[in-house]
Amino acid sequence: MDIQQYIESGILEEYALGVLPAANRAEVERLVAAHPELQHELNAIISGLDTYAEAHALTPPPGMRERVLAGWQQAIRAEAPGTTQASATAEPPYVAPQPAAAPAPEPVVRPISSAPEPAIREEAPRRGFGWLMAASVALLLSMAGNYVLYNRWQNTETALFAAQNDQARFAATQQAAEKQLSSQGRELAVLRDVQFQSVTLAGTPAAPSAKARVLYNPATKAVYVDVHSLPAPPAGKQYQLWALDNGQPVDAGVLAASTAAGDSLQQMKNIVSAQAFAMTVENEGGSASPTLATMTVLGKLL
Amino acid sequence: MPPVPDAEDQLVQRLRDRDEAAMTLFYDRYSAALYGVIMRIVQKEEEAEDVLQEGMIKIWNSFASYDASKGRLFTWVMNVCRNLAIDRIRSRQYRVGTRTQPLEDSAAVREPASLTFRPEHIGLQEMTKKLSPDQQQVVDMLYFGGYTQSEVAEELDLPLGTVKTRARAAIKVLSKLIR
Repeated sequence: MDIQQYIESGILEEYALGVLPAANRAEVERLVAAHPELQHELNAIISGLDTYAEAHALTPPPGMRERVLAGWQQAIRAEAPGTTQASATAEPPYVAPQPAAAPAPEPVVRPISSAPEPAIREEAPRRGFGWLMAASVALLLSMAGNYVLYNRWQNTETALFAAQNDQARFAATQQAAEKQLSSQGRELAVLRDVQFQSVTLAGTPAAPSAKARVLYNPATKAVYVDVHSLPAPPAGKQYQLWALDNGQPVDAGVLAASTAAGDSLQQMKNIVSAQAFAMTVENEGGSASPTLATMTVLGKLL
Repeated sequence: MPPVPDAEDQLVQRLRDRDEAAMTLFYDRYSAALYGVIMRIVQKEEEAEDVLQEGMIKIWNSFASYDASKGRLFTWVMNVCRNLAIDRIRSRQYRVGTRTQPLEDSAAVREPASLTFRPEHIGLQEMTKKLSPDQQQVVDMLYFGGYTQSEVAEELDLPLGTVKTRARAAIKVLSKLIR
Protein backbone atom coordinates (compact mmCIF):
# COMPACT_ATOMS: atom_id res chain seq x y z
CA MET A 1 0.00 0.00 0.00
CA ASP A 2 1.23 3.48 -0.87
CA ILE A 3 1.44 5.27 2.45
CA GLN A 4 2.12 8.67 0.94
CA GLN A 5 -0.88 8.39 -1.35
CA TYR A 6 -3.05 7.37 1.57
CA ILE A 7 -1.86 10.37 3.55
CA GLU A 8 -2.58 12.69 0.65
CA SER A 9 -6.05 11.27 0.16
CA GLY A 10 -7.17 13.44 3.08
CA ILE A 11 -8.88 10.57 4.83
CA LEU A 12 -6.84 11.06 8.01
CA GLU A 13 -8.05 14.66 8.21
CA GLU A 14 -11.63 13.51 7.82
CA TYR A 15 -11.06 10.90 10.50
CA ALA A 16 -9.65 13.51 12.89
CA LEU A 17 -12.50 15.89 12.12
CA GLY A 18 -15.00 13.15 12.90
CA VAL A 19 -16.85 13.24 9.59
CA LEU A 20 -16.07 9.69 8.48
CA PRO A 21 -18.75 6.99 8.56
CA ALA A 22 -18.19 4.27 11.14
CA ALA A 23 -17.08 1.67 8.60
CA ASN A 24 -14.30 3.88 7.27
CA ARG A 25 -13.27 4.83 10.79
CA ALA A 26 -12.56 1.22 11.64
CA GLU A 27 -10.53 0.87 8.45
CA VAL A 28 -8.47 3.95 9.31
CA GLU A 29 -7.87 2.68 12.82
CA ARG A 30 -6.72 -0.67 11.50
CA LEU A 31 -4.26 0.90 9.05
CA VAL A 32 -3.00 3.41 11.57
CA ALA A 33 -2.29 0.65 14.05
CA ALA A 34 -0.35 -1.22 11.38
CA HIS A 35 1.69 1.69 10.01
CA PRO A 36 3.64 3.92 12.39
CA GLU A 37 4.00 6.60 9.68
CA LEU A 38 0.25 6.88 9.53
CA GLN A 39 0.04 7.00 13.30
CA HIS A 40 2.59 9.79 13.32
CA GLU A 41 0.74 11.70 10.62
CA LEU A 42 -2.62 11.30 12.38
CA ASN A 43 -1.17 12.45 15.70
CA ALA A 44 0.18 15.57 14.03
CA ILE A 45 -3.23 16.31 12.48
CA ILE A 46 -5.05 15.83 15.77
CA SER A 47 -2.66 17.99 17.74
CA GLY A 48 -2.80 20.65 15.04
CA LEU A 49 -6.58 20.79 15.33
CA ASP A 50 -6.40 20.69 19.13
CA THR A 51 -4.00 23.61 19.06
CA TYR A 52 -6.37 25.53 16.84
CA ALA A 53 -9.23 24.79 19.23
CA GLU A 54 -7.22 25.83 22.27
CA ALA A 55 -6.28 29.09 20.60
CA HIS A 56 -9.97 29.97 20.65
CA ALA A 57 -10.27 29.53 24.42
CA LEU A 58 -12.63 32.02 25.99
CA THR A 59 -13.35 32.26 29.70
CA PRO A 60 -17.09 31.72 30.18
CA PRO A 61 -18.99 34.61 31.79
CA PRO A 62 -19.21 34.57 35.60
CA GLY A 63 -22.16 32.64 36.97
CA MET A 64 -22.13 30.18 34.12
CA ARG A 65 -20.10 27.69 36.10
CA GLU A 66 -22.79 27.33 38.75
CA ARG A 67 -25.61 27.25 36.22
CA VAL A 68 -24.01 24.69 33.95
CA LEU A 69 -22.91 22.41 36.76
CA ALA A 70 -26.32 22.61 38.43
CA GLY A 71 -28.08 21.95 35.12
CA TRP A 72 -25.79 19.04 34.42
CA GLN A 73 -26.41 17.53 37.82
CA GLN A 74 -30.14 17.93 37.52
CA ALA A 75 -30.09 16.25 34.13
CA ILE A 76 -28.07 13.26 35.22
CA ARG A 77 -30.19 12.86 38.35
CA ALA A 78 -33.31 12.90 36.24
CA GLU A 79 -31.90 10.22 34.00
CA ALA A 80 -30.46 8.19 36.84
CA PRO A 81 -33.41 5.90 37.73
CA GLY A 82 -33.57 4.48 34.22
CA THR A 83 -29.89 4.31 33.51
CA THR A 84 -28.44 3.01 36.76
CA GLN A 85 -30.24 -0.30 36.39
CA ALA A 86 -29.16 -0.66 32.79
CA SER A 87 -25.57 0.17 33.52
CA ALA A 88 -25.49 -2.01 36.60
CA THR A 89 -26.17 -5.05 34.46
CA ALA A 90 -24.05 -3.94 31.52
CA GLU A 91 -20.81 -3.22 33.36
CA PRO A 92 -19.68 -2.89 36.90
CA PRO A 93 -17.79 0.42 37.09
CA TYR A 94 -20.19 2.11 39.44
CA VAL A 95 -20.50 0.14 42.61
CA ALA A 96 -21.89 2.65 45.05
CA PRO A 97 -23.16 1.29 48.36
CA GLN A 98 -26.78 2.07 47.55
CA PRO A 99 -27.36 0.00 44.41
CA ALA A 100 -25.54 -2.89 46.03
CA ALA A 101 -27.68 -2.89 49.13
CA ALA A 102 -31.00 -1.74 47.78
CA PRO A 103 -31.79 -4.40 45.15
CA ALA A 104 -30.80 -7.17 47.57
CA PRO A 105 -33.88 -7.16 49.82
CA GLU A 106 -36.19 -7.64 46.87
CA PRO A 107 -35.28 -11.11 45.67
CA VAL A 108 -35.10 -12.31 49.27
CA VAL A 109 -38.40 -10.80 50.24
CA ARG A 110 -40.30 -12.46 47.41
CA PRO A 111 -39.99 -16.05 48.73
CA ILE A 112 -41.63 -15.01 51.99
CA SER A 113 -45.08 -14.93 50.46
CA SER A 114 -44.59 -18.08 48.40
CA ALA A 115 -42.67 -20.15 50.96
CA PRO A 116 -45.27 -20.77 53.71
CA GLU A 117 -47.67 -22.77 51.54
CA PRO A 118 -45.39 -25.67 50.66
CA ALA A 119 -43.88 -25.40 54.13
CA ILE A 120 -47.12 -26.47 55.78
CA ARG A 121 -47.63 -29.38 53.43
CA GLU A 122 -44.29 -31.11 53.96
CA GLU A 123 -41.38 -30.97 56.36
CA ALA A 124 -42.97 -28.21 58.33
CA PRO A 125 -40.33 -27.76 61.09
CA ARG A 126 -37.30 -27.48 58.83
CA ARG A 127 -39.06 -25.31 56.29
CA GLY A 128 -40.31 -23.10 59.09
CA PHE A 129 -36.82 -22.60 60.35
CA GLY A 130 -35.59 -21.79 56.84
CA TRP A 131 -38.44 -19.37 56.48
CA LEU A 132 -37.46 -17.66 59.70
CA MET A 133 -33.86 -17.43 58.55
CA ALA A 134 -34.92 -15.98 55.21
CA ALA A 135 -37.15 -13.49 56.97
CA SER A 136 -34.40 -12.40 59.37
CA VAL A 137 -31.90 -12.07 56.56
CA ALA A 138 -34.42 -10.08 54.56
CA LEU A 139 -35.12 -7.89 57.52
CA LEU A 140 -31.43 -7.30 58.16
CA LEU A 141 -30.75 -6.49 54.53
CA SER A 142 -33.74 -4.24 54.38
CA MET A 143 -32.58 -2.46 57.53
CA ALA A 144 -29.11 -2.04 56.08
CA GLY A 145 -30.66 -0.78 52.88
CA ASN A 146 -32.83 1.63 54.80
CA TYR A 147 -29.85 2.86 56.72
CA VAL A 148 -27.90 3.54 53.53
CA LEU A 149 -30.88 5.25 51.93
CA TYR A 150 -31.55 7.27 55.05
CA ASN A 151 -27.93 8.45 55.10
CA ARG A 152 -28.09 9.37 51.44
CA TRP A 153 -31.30 11.24 52.04
CA GLN A 154 -29.75 13.10 54.96
CA ASN A 155 -26.74 14.03 52.83
CA THR A 156 -28.96 15.23 50.05
CA GLU A 157 -30.99 17.25 52.51
CA THR A 158 -27.82 18.89 53.84
CA ALA A 159 -26.54 19.57 50.35
CA LEU A 160 -29.87 21.02 49.33
CA PHE A 161 -29.96 23.24 52.38
CA ALA A 162 -26.45 24.49 51.66
CA ALA A 163 -27.36 25.16 48.05
CA GLN A 164 -30.49 27.04 49.07
CA ASN A 165 -28.45 29.09 51.51
CA ASP A 166 -25.95 29.92 48.81
CA GLN A 167 -28.68 30.89 46.44
CA ALA A 168 -30.32 33.17 48.99
CA ARG A 169 -26.97 34.77 49.68
CA PHE A 170 -26.33 35.39 45.98
CA ALA A 171 -29.81 36.76 45.51
CA ALA A 172 -29.36 39.18 48.41
CA THR A 173 -25.98 40.32 47.14
CA GLN A 174 -27.35 40.80 43.68
CA GLN A 175 -30.33 42.74 44.94
CA ALA A 176 -28.08 45.03 46.94
CA ALA A 177 -25.82 45.52 43.95
CA GLU A 178 -28.79 46.27 41.73
CA LYS A 179 -30.14 48.79 44.16
CA GLN A 180 -26.79 50.49 44.42
CA LEU A 181 -26.41 50.47 40.68
CA SER A 182 -29.78 52.10 40.10
CA SER A 183 -29.17 54.79 42.72
CA GLN A 184 -25.76 55.47 41.21
CA GLY A 185 -27.37 55.58 37.80
CA ARG A 186 -29.75 58.27 39.04
CA GLU A 187 -26.90 60.22 40.63
CA LEU A 188 -24.92 60.05 37.45
CA ALA A 189 -27.91 61.31 35.47
CA VAL A 190 -28.13 64.35 37.78
CA LEU A 191 -24.41 64.98 37.61
CA ARG A 192 -24.40 64.81 33.82
CA ASP A 193 -27.51 66.90 33.33
CA VAL A 194 -26.42 70.28 31.94
CA GLN A 195 -29.57 71.92 33.33
CA PHE A 196 -28.25 71.51 36.86
CA GLN A 197 -26.24 74.40 38.21
CA SER A 198 -23.58 73.53 40.67
CA VAL A 199 -23.38 75.76 43.75
CA THR A 200 -20.33 75.32 45.92
CA LEU A 201 -21.08 75.82 49.61
CA ALA A 202 -17.92 76.86 51.44
CA GLY A 203 -17.36 76.56 55.18
CA THR A 204 -18.14 79.53 57.40
CA PRO A 205 -15.66 80.68 60.08
CA ALA A 206 -17.53 78.32 62.45
CA ALA A 207 -16.45 75.32 60.32
CA PRO A 208 -13.74 76.43 57.87
CA SER A 209 -13.03 72.97 56.49
CA ALA A 210 -16.68 72.17 55.75
CA LYS A 211 -17.55 71.85 52.10
CA ALA A 212 -20.65 70.83 50.20
CA ARG A 213 -22.32 71.36 46.88
CA VAL A 214 -25.90 71.97 45.81
CA LEU A 215 -27.12 70.95 42.38
CA TYR A 216 -30.03 73.10 41.40
CA ASN A 217 -32.16 72.83 38.29
CA PRO A 218 -34.00 76.15 37.87
CA ALA A 219 -36.24 74.61 35.19
CA THR A 220 -37.55 71.64 37.18
CA LYS A 221 -36.85 73.28 40.59
CA ALA A 222 -35.09 70.08 41.69
CA VAL A 223 -32.41 70.38 44.36
CA TYR A 224 -29.75 67.82 45.22
CA VAL A 225 -27.12 68.10 47.89
CA ASP A 226 -23.70 66.53 47.68
CA VAL A 227 -21.55 66.67 50.82
CA HIS A 228 -17.76 66.66 50.64
CA SER A 229 -17.10 67.10 54.32
CA LEU A 230 -19.14 68.34 57.24
CA PRO A 231 -18.37 68.13 60.95
CA ALA A 232 -20.51 65.43 62.56
CA PRO A 233 -23.58 67.13 64.06
CA PRO A 234 -24.00 66.96 67.87
CA ALA A 235 -26.37 64.29 69.19
CA GLY A 236 -30.01 65.12 68.55
CA LYS A 237 -29.09 67.61 65.80
CA GLN A 238 -29.32 67.44 62.04
CA TYR A 239 -28.12 69.54 59.14
CA GLN A 240 -30.80 71.52 57.38
CA LEU A 241 -30.51 73.08 53.93
CA TRP A 242 -31.93 76.53 53.25
CA ALA A 243 -32.45 78.35 50.01
CA LEU A 244 -32.05 82.11 50.22
CA ASP A 245 -34.52 83.89 47.96
CA ASN A 246 -34.22 87.69 48.04
CA GLY A 247 -32.63 87.35 51.48
CA GLN A 248 -35.48 85.19 52.82
CA PRO A 249 -34.55 81.68 54.02
CA VAL A 250 -36.73 78.90 52.56
CA ASP A 251 -36.61 75.42 54.08
CA ALA A 252 -35.13 72.88 51.60
CA GLY A 253 -35.28 69.91 53.97
CA VAL A 254 -32.97 68.12 56.39
CA LEU A 255 -30.01 65.96 55.44
CA ALA A 256 -30.05 62.25 56.18
CA ALA A 257 -27.12 61.09 58.29
CA SER A 258 -25.67 59.21 55.33
CA THR A 259 -25.88 62.31 53.14
CA ALA A 260 -24.15 64.41 55.80
CA ALA A 261 -21.43 61.76 55.93
CA GLY A 262 -20.91 62.17 52.19
CA ASP A 263 -22.19 58.77 51.11
CA SER A 264 -24.46 59.81 48.27
CA LEU A 265 -26.49 62.57 46.70
CA GLN A 266 -29.81 63.40 48.34
CA GLN A 267 -32.75 65.01 46.65
CA MET A 268 -34.12 67.91 48.73
CA LYS A 269 -37.36 69.84 48.56
CA ASN A 270 -38.03 71.63 45.30
CA ILE A 271 -37.08 75.29 45.38
CA VAL A 272 -38.86 77.78 43.14
CA SER A 273 -36.20 80.42 43.13
CA ALA A 274 -32.94 81.01 44.97
CA GLN A 275 -29.81 83.09 44.80
CA ALA A 276 -27.88 81.23 47.50
CA PHE A 277 -27.97 78.10 49.65
CA ALA A 278 -26.80 77.55 53.23
CA MET A 279 -26.80 74.84 55.84
CA THR A 280 -27.39 75.21 59.57
CA VAL A 281 -27.44 72.73 62.43
CA GLU A 282 -30.99 72.32 63.77
CA ASN A 283 -32.83 70.04 66.14
CA GLU A 284 -33.70 66.69 64.61
CA GLY A 285 -36.55 67.07 62.16
CA GLY A 286 -35.57 70.61 61.22
CA SER A 287 -36.75 74.05 62.19
CA ALA A 288 -39.14 76.54 60.63
CA SER A 289 -36.47 79.23 60.53
CA PRO A 290 -32.69 78.87 60.54
CA THR A 291 -30.52 79.24 63.64
CA LEU A 292 -28.02 81.59 62.02
CA ALA A 293 -25.36 81.05 64.71
CA THR A 294 -24.99 77.44 63.55
CA MET A 295 -24.57 78.20 59.86
CA THR A 296 -21.90 75.80 58.62
CA VAL A 297 -21.69 76.35 54.86
CA LEU A 298 -22.89 79.00 52.45
CA GLY A 299 -22.67 79.53 48.69
CA LYS A 300 -24.19 81.74 46.01
CA LEU A 301 -25.46 80.82 42.58
CA LEU A 302 -23.22 82.16 39.84
CA MET B 1 0.51 20.55 25.45
CA PRO B 2 -1.60 18.73 28.05
CA PRO B 3 -0.57 20.70 31.15
CA VAL B 4 -0.01 17.71 33.41
CA PRO B 5 -0.62 14.28 31.90
CA ASP B 6 -1.16 12.76 35.33
CA ALA B 7 -3.97 15.16 36.04
CA GLU B 8 -5.79 14.09 32.89
CA ASP B 9 -5.33 10.41 33.75
CA GLN B 10 -6.68 11.02 37.21
CA LEU B 11 -9.65 12.90 35.89
CA VAL B 12 -10.39 10.12 33.41
CA GLN B 13 -10.22 7.55 36.19
CA ARG B 14 -12.56 9.55 38.40
CA LEU B 15 -15.04 10.03 35.60
CA ARG B 16 -14.91 6.33 34.90
CA ASP B 17 -15.66 5.76 38.59
CA ARG B 18 -18.72 8.00 38.17
CA ASP B 19 -17.33 10.53 40.63
CA GLU B 20 -19.70 13.47 40.24
CA ALA B 21 -17.32 15.89 41.95
CA ALA B 22 -14.86 15.26 39.13
CA MET B 23 -17.20 17.12 36.78
CA THR B 24 -16.43 20.34 38.66
CA LEU B 25 -12.76 19.76 37.98
CA PHE B 26 -13.63 18.95 34.43
CA TYR B 27 -15.41 22.28 34.10
CA ASP B 28 -12.54 24.23 35.58
CA ARG B 29 -10.10 22.55 33.32
CA TYR B 30 -11.86 22.47 29.98
CA SER B 31 -14.68 25.01 30.00
CA ALA B 32 -12.66 27.86 28.50
CA ALA B 33 -11.47 25.81 25.54
CA LEU B 34 -14.88 24.23 24.99
CA TYR B 35 -16.78 27.47 25.45
CA GLY B 36 -14.44 29.28 23.06
CA VAL B 37 -14.99 26.81 20.25
CA ILE B 38 -18.74 26.56 20.91
CA MET B 39 -19.04 30.36 20.91
CA ARG B 40 -17.10 30.51 17.67
CA ILE B 41 -19.71 28.20 16.14
CA VAL B 42 -23.03 29.32 17.64
CA GLN B 43 -22.01 32.97 18.20
CA LYS B 44 -24.56 33.50 20.98
CA GLU B 45 -23.67 33.38 24.65
CA GLU B 46 -26.92 31.83 25.79
CA GLU B 47 -26.86 29.16 23.18
CA ALA B 48 -23.21 28.44 23.86
CA GLU B 49 -24.04 27.89 27.53
CA ASP B 50 -26.80 25.50 26.51
CA VAL B 51 -24.51 23.56 24.24
CA LEU B 52 -21.79 23.36 26.87
CA GLN B 53 -24.25 21.96 29.39
CA GLU B 54 -25.63 19.52 26.88
CA GLY B 55 -22.08 18.51 26.04
CA MET B 56 -21.26 17.82 29.67
CA ILE B 57 -24.34 15.65 30.03
CA LYS B 58 -23.38 13.74 26.94
CA ILE B 59 -19.77 13.37 28.07
CA TRP B 60 -20.93 12.03 31.42
CA ASN B 61 -23.49 9.64 29.98
CA SER B 62 -21.32 8.25 27.23
CA PHE B 63 -18.05 8.28 29.07
CA ALA B 64 -17.75 4.52 28.68
CA SER B 65 -17.23 5.06 24.97
CA TYR B 66 -14.14 7.20 25.54
CA ASP B 67 -11.08 5.16 24.74
CA ALA B 68 -7.97 6.73 26.22
CA SER B 69 -5.76 4.63 23.95
CA LYS B 70 -7.22 6.43 20.93
CA GLY B 71 -6.48 9.93 22.08
CA ARG B 72 -6.50 12.64 24.68
CA LEU B 73 -9.58 13.39 26.72
CA PHE B 74 -9.33 16.95 25.40
CA THR B 75 -9.71 15.82 21.80
CA TRP B 76 -12.67 13.64 22.62
CA VAL B 77 -14.63 16.17 24.67
CA MET B 78 -13.84 18.91 22.18
CA ASN B 79 -15.30 16.81 19.39
CA VAL B 80 -18.42 16.01 21.41
CA CYS B 81 -19.08 19.70 22.05
CA ARG B 82 -18.05 20.85 18.60
CA ASN B 83 -20.46 18.39 16.99
CA LEU B 84 -23.31 19.44 19.27
CA ALA B 85 -22.65 23.08 18.38
CA ILE B 86 -22.57 22.31 14.66
CA ASP B 87 -25.83 20.34 14.98
CA ARG B 88 -27.27 23.33 16.76
CA ILE B 89 -26.54 25.84 14.00
CA ARG B 90 -27.69 23.39 11.37
CA SER B 91 -31.03 22.86 13.08
CA ARG B 92 -31.25 26.62 13.48
CA GLN B 93 -30.85 27.03 9.73
CA TYR B 94 -33.34 24.26 9.25
CA ARG B 95 -35.83 26.10 11.45
CA VAL B 96 -35.56 29.33 9.52
CA GLY B 97 -36.25 27.37 6.39
CA THR B 98 -33.05 27.35 4.38
CA ARG B 99 -33.19 23.65 4.24
CA THR B 100 -32.30 23.48 0.58
CA GLN B 101 -28.86 24.85 1.37
CA PRO B 102 -28.28 23.68 4.89
CA LEU B 103 -24.61 24.59 4.96
CA GLU B 104 -24.92 27.73 2.94
CA ASP B 105 -24.58 30.64 5.30
CA SER B 106 -23.39 29.48 8.61
CA ALA B 107 -22.09 32.58 10.32
CA ALA B 108 -19.39 30.50 11.92
CA VAL B 109 -17.57 29.86 8.71
CA ARG B 110 -18.56 32.91 6.71
CA GLU B 111 -16.94 35.38 8.98
CA PRO B 112 -13.39 34.98 10.19
CA ALA B 113 -14.58 35.72 13.72
CA SER B 114 -17.28 38.09 14.82
CA LEU B 115 -16.43 41.40 16.44
CA THR B 116 -17.84 40.30 19.74
CA PHE B 117 -15.66 37.25 19.74
CA ARG B 118 -12.47 38.07 21.58
CA PRO B 119 -10.49 35.02 22.42
CA GLU B 120 -8.11 35.86 25.18
CA HIS B 121 -5.51 33.53 23.86
CA ILE B 122 -2.95 35.85 22.33
CA GLY B 123 -1.82 33.00 20.16
CA LEU B 124 -4.84 33.07 17.88
CA GLN B 125 -3.87 36.12 15.88
CA GLU B 126 -0.31 35.00 15.43
CA MET B 127 -1.59 31.59 14.54
CA THR B 128 -3.97 32.80 11.88
CA LYS B 129 -1.28 35.07 10.50
CA LYS B 130 0.68 31.97 9.63
CA LEU B 131 -2.24 30.63 7.64
CA SER B 132 -3.04 32.08 4.26
CA PRO B 133 -6.61 33.39 4.01
CA ASP B 134 -7.42 30.47 1.70
CA GLN B 135 -6.07 27.97 4.17
CA GLN B 136 -7.88 29.56 7.05
CA GLN B 137 -11.16 29.57 5.18
CA VAL B 138 -10.86 25.86 4.49
CA VAL B 139 -9.81 24.88 7.97
CA ASP B 140 -12.58 27.00 9.51
CA MET B 141 -15.20 25.40 7.30
CA LEU B 142 -13.92 21.97 8.22
CA TYR B 143 -13.46 22.55 11.93
CA PHE B 144 -16.19 25.01 12.84
CA GLY B 145 -18.63 24.35 10.03
CA GLY B 146 -18.49 20.57 10.10
CA TYR B 147 -18.11 20.36 6.34
CA THR B 148 -16.49 17.40 4.64
CA GLN B 149 -13.76 18.17 2.17
CA SER B 150 -16.07 17.47 -0.77
CA GLU B 151 -18.67 19.83 0.69
CA VAL B 152 -16.04 22.53 0.97
CA ALA B 153 -15.02 21.90 -2.64
CA GLU B 154 -18.62 22.19 -3.77
CA GLU B 155 -19.27 25.22 -1.63
CA LEU B 156 -16.19 27.11 -2.79
CA ASP B 157 -16.40 25.75 -6.30
CA LEU B 158 -12.89 24.38 -6.15
CA PRO B 159 -11.41 21.07 -7.28
CA LEU B 160 -11.48 18.55 -4.43
CA GLY B 161 -7.71 18.11 -4.76
CA THR B 162 -7.15 21.80 -4.10
CA VAL B 163 -9.26 21.65 -0.95
CA LYS B 164 -7.37 18.62 0.31
CA THR B 165 -4.04 20.29 -0.34
CA ARG B 166 -5.12 23.44 1.47
CA ALA B 167 -6.53 21.51 4.39
CA ARG B 168 -3.39 19.45 4.75
CA ALA B 169 -1.14 22.48 4.47
CA ALA B 170 -3.21 24.42 7.01
CA ILE B 171 -3.27 21.62 9.55
CA LYS B 172 0.44 21.09 9.07
CA VAL B 173 1.07 24.75 9.88
CA LEU B 174 -1.09 24.43 12.99
CA SER B 175 0.60 21.27 14.18
CA LYS B 176 3.97 23.00 13.98
CA LEU B 177 2.75 25.74 16.29
CA ILE B 178 2.41 23.45 19.25
CA ARG B 179 3.91 25.13 22.20
